[in-house]
Amino acid sequence: MLPEFELLMPRTLPEALEMMNESSRVIPLAGGTSLLVDLRGRISRPQMLINIGGLDELRGVRVEEGYVVVGSAVTIADLKHNVLIAKHGQVLQQATRVFANPLVRNRATIGGNLAYGSPAADAAPPLLVLDAEVELTCKDAKRTVPLKEFITGVRETVRHPRELVTAIRWPILPEGSVGVFHKLGLRKADAISVLSIAVMLHRKNTEDYAQVRIALGAVAPTPIRVTPAEELLSGGPLTPEVIARAAQLASESTHAISDIRGSAAYRKRVITALVKRLLTNLAEGTKEKKHNESEGYHS
Amino acid sequence: MLHGRVLSSPYAHACVKRIDATAAEAIGAVVITFNDIPSVRYNERIITIPSVLHKDHYVLADKVRRMGEAVAAVAAETEELAEKAVRAIKVEYDVLPVLTDPIKAMKPGATPIYDTVLWGENEIEIEHNIACARSIEQGDVDRAFAEADVVVEGTFNLSKVYHAQMETKSAICRPEPNGGLTVWPTTQSIHNVRILLGQIFDIPLSKVNVKRVPIGGTFGSSIQMNPPIPICAALALKAHRPVKLTLTREEDAHDHTRYGEQIHLQLAAKKDGTLTGAKMEAIVDIGAHNIQAYSFLGVTVGWLVSLYKIPNVRYHGTAVYTNKAPSCAMQGFGNPQVTFATESLIEELAEKLDIDSLELRLKNYVGLGDTFWGQGPLVRSIVESDGVPELLHRGAEAIGWSDRPKSGSGTGRFRSGIGLGRGFHTSSAGAPQPGDVIDFSGAMVKLNVDGSVDVITALMDHGGGTLEALNRIVSEALCVPLDKVNMAPAETCSTVYDCVTHATRGVYAGGGAVLKAARTLREEILTTAAHYLNVQAHALTLKLNKDLEQGVVYTPSIPDRTMTLSELATRCWSESWKTIAAVESYRPVNCPPAYVTVFVEVKVDTWTGLVHTVKAVMGSDCGTVICPAMAIGQLEGGLSKGAGYALYESNAWSTDGQLVSGGYWIDSKTSGISETPHIDAFTAGFAHTYEPSGPFGAKGIGEAAINPVAAAYANAIHNAIGIRFYELPITPEKVLIALKKKERIHG
Repeated sequence: MLPEFELLMPRTLPEALEMMNESSRVIPLAGGTSLLVDLRGRISRPQMLINIGGLDELRGVRVEEGYVVVGSAVTIADLKHNVLIAKHGQVLQQATRVFANPLVRNRATIGGNLAYGSPAADAAPPLLVLDAEVELTCKDAKRTVPLKEFITGVRETVRHPRELVTAIRWPILPEGSVGVFHKLGLRKADAISVLSIAVMLHRKNTEDYAQVRIALGAVAPTPIRVTPAEELLSGGPLTPEVIARAAQLASESTHAISDIRGSAAYRKRVITALVKRLLTNLAEGTKEKKHNESEGYHS
Repeated sequence: MLHGRVLSSPYAHACVKRIDATAAEAIGAVVITFNDIPSVRYNERIITIPSVLHKDHYVLADKVRRMGEAVAAVAAETEELAEKAVRAIKVEYDVLPVLTDPIKAMKPGATPIYDTVLWGENEIEIEHNIACARSIEQGDVDRAFAEADVVVEGTFNLSKVYHAQMETKSAICRPEPNGGLTVWPTTQSIHNVRILLGQIFDIPLSKVNVKRVPIGGTFGSSIQMNPPIPICAALALKAHRPVKLTLTREEDAHDHTRYGEQIHLQLAAKKDGTLTGAKMEAIVDIGAHNIQAYSFLGVTVGWLVSLYKIPNVRYHGTAVYTNKAPSCAMQGFGNPQVTFATESLIEELAEKLDIDSLELRLKNYVGLGDTFWGQGPLVRSIVESDGVPELLHRGAEAIGWSDRPKSGSGTGRFRSGIGLGRGFHTSSAGAPQPGDVIDFSGAMVKLNVDGSVDVITALMDHGGGTLEALNRIVSEALCVPLDKVNMAPAETCSTVYDCVTHATRGVYAGGGAVLKAARTLREEILTTAAHYLNVQAHALTLKLNKDLEQGVVYTPSIPDRTMTLSELATRCWSESWKTIAAVESYRPVNCPPAYVTVFVEVKVDTWTGLVHTVKAVMGSDCGTVICPAMAIGQLEGGLSKGAGYALYESNAWSTDGQLVSGGYWIDSKTSGISETPHIDAFTAGFAHTYEPSGPFGAKGIGEAAINPVAAAYANAIHNAIGIRFYELPITPEKVLIALKKKERIHG
């Protein structure tokens, strides 16, 4: 049962920011797919919610000044079908296909997925390898924070209580970039990730890679980039030896958590296996799609 | 109508010291605590005969024994107000030590969860938290093991998984001006709900009317009268208003589970594969209440000796209280647990003896002409229909059994394997003599003036198509078109007793009752028609006239002596004579095994430990198949639930008795449609058998469909990676740990 709360219903973004400015105890509500569950379970008890899911200013995907800009209230289902995302954020689109279930995807928003601060947010690893930034707006100011600095702990972010996440953006990828996302869950749909992983390669020439980015979700208190492995891989060719070393390094450098879905030891083992597999597939130019299907993650 | 909410204990074991409900009452809620409830100890499940029924439950008690147990309840004008009121109640608890492990609970000095319970009408002391125990022995077990050529053994651990039935437990209760109650509950037995409410609240049964509500699935979760029903009744009686009480999904997940148990099983055999002996020990975690542990202990060995012919058996079962959700029947009533253990060891035995495990099964299974007692030692039957060889051979052909790899011979990241599990469930708990389990059905059938028929039975349908099957049985028996057979809405005041839809008995026993009533009706039709047609009744018969779209009474040798059922019933009516109707009770004198055989092919990802279902072939011997589409649906459902039991579902409690998942389904991992094999990869087949004791040759199917599934998965995983698992679920993590251990041992 939901407890009682007050619900503010702003019609415009300025009105919403005005309302947010009046009290630091107003909690933004967008899709509600996490927040309402917490309210029912008495995990959080905000007195006042503000519904920002319907604000037009927070909708839409556009490309401007070399960036892809996604409004924070764009739903996961919208992203799954968006042509701009298909072109400029393929790795993110892969994640939307295995995100929760169709009902949740229709409600859940990209901004909410990040602002909730869950280590298992499935949108986070793809956005981390896209080098995404989070746009935060309050009544009188706007600032942009790199995503890797945005989430600071379990359900903790740098968002000020009077700020709203208004957009997510990332620089348009250079030609020859390729990314892949993989989710490991205990069930094929409707499962919180045991591990989610995104990998992005930027090609320098036919052999070498200018940059390799790897991000992991659901293994640490926040979604993380695995810098030591990235550094090892960037600049050179992806030989089986270097991939194996990087996979090992990714696992060793991660302080994995244990929870109801898996132990730290299991997580460390599958990090090695999956980093190795995704890098190998990308290096060989094969599509991860085949493997995703073999594990039955249907869109 | 008022809306109810329950105040659940946050502690798994505590005495309730004080309840202050003034704040809740101040906002207009009606509140009940144990002070408002008659002090009647009862058992939610009254299928066991009264003289040996354990009773340890009160509607509301001053002691809670599991997290989430009801302490108080409220009713208010809206659900929101009720929620507010329930949160305004203040309770002081004396928190007691919590026992979640049955083995620790039995240790000397462990905190007693109960001091006494009722057994029949006698108060008995509970020692070492042991609710009950049973030892059963036949033959010369020591000799069988001493003379055995080979012995296999294993300790199997099975978890307390949640039913995850479609509807959460719910009731609407309306107090009546005569002091009675009308009740709309989620239940598998309207009559047992009626009897219990009458006993607890001391209301004559003639004033308690319980209505059948369509429900979409139970998996055994509502065989017993669940806690919200009497709580709702107590609220309605105190408020003098109708009350609705529905558990949230999270509350429901705390309410009941499958029986958790540890089974230690040893099988002894001769070199040629003949099974000669078994030793079995079961420690059963029954949770906070004894719902039917005594019967459960009986069937636990019953399933074993009814799977395979084992002349010498020694069994000891112990049912132990813990501070967890009460265990109750869940699709199979202990059978999936025992079949998992037995079918795993049969496979091991075959490997040791280097015999094809399918042949080993055929050599030893309990089949045609054999005596078996699946439902416990007092429920003995002779097998009269047996499709096992057909199912095994056809299934083996369809899956490619003879081409399966040698266990553990696979290499590479993905490794495939094929596994077989076979099993059965009894259709009903019927037997020639009464046992310690009540099993009989009743039905009425009546002919309407237009030749249509009403069927009146208290049998429940949980979405499996049971009532549709009953309509077909009546249609066939009376030669009436199916669309002229009406399954009447049911309530306790106008139906005869039917024990409960469970034990795979709906079609077999419930169907047996409507067939008996239909046959009596048929005699009545013929006798009445004989009067009008001036023909001896026994010279008359019935047929379906498709042009007239109704049944016709006729005698083959005199073509003009005929009348339709409509003409017959209309004359009885217009001449102010009678309604042609019949009412019967029916006790099945047999409980034939409904056999099911499952072959699955899996692919194990040795990098992540994930197990994928590649293909499944299921075969069912349910005798005559009455509704083929619904029967296939039962098999598909059995595979899905069985795969969940084998691979995904577990319920863990922390040491302080909290459900680790919090009851949230996201981490309970019931299999969804995405886990179900693609329709092209699923094959279902039916054996060509006829059960002489069943309605038109039918047996049951429901529980049989799940019983061998977990074993088939475990055997398939063993075939793929050469590792045997003794604990369910076989999670990716367990697979990886086992693979790593194997690598270490074998380099």
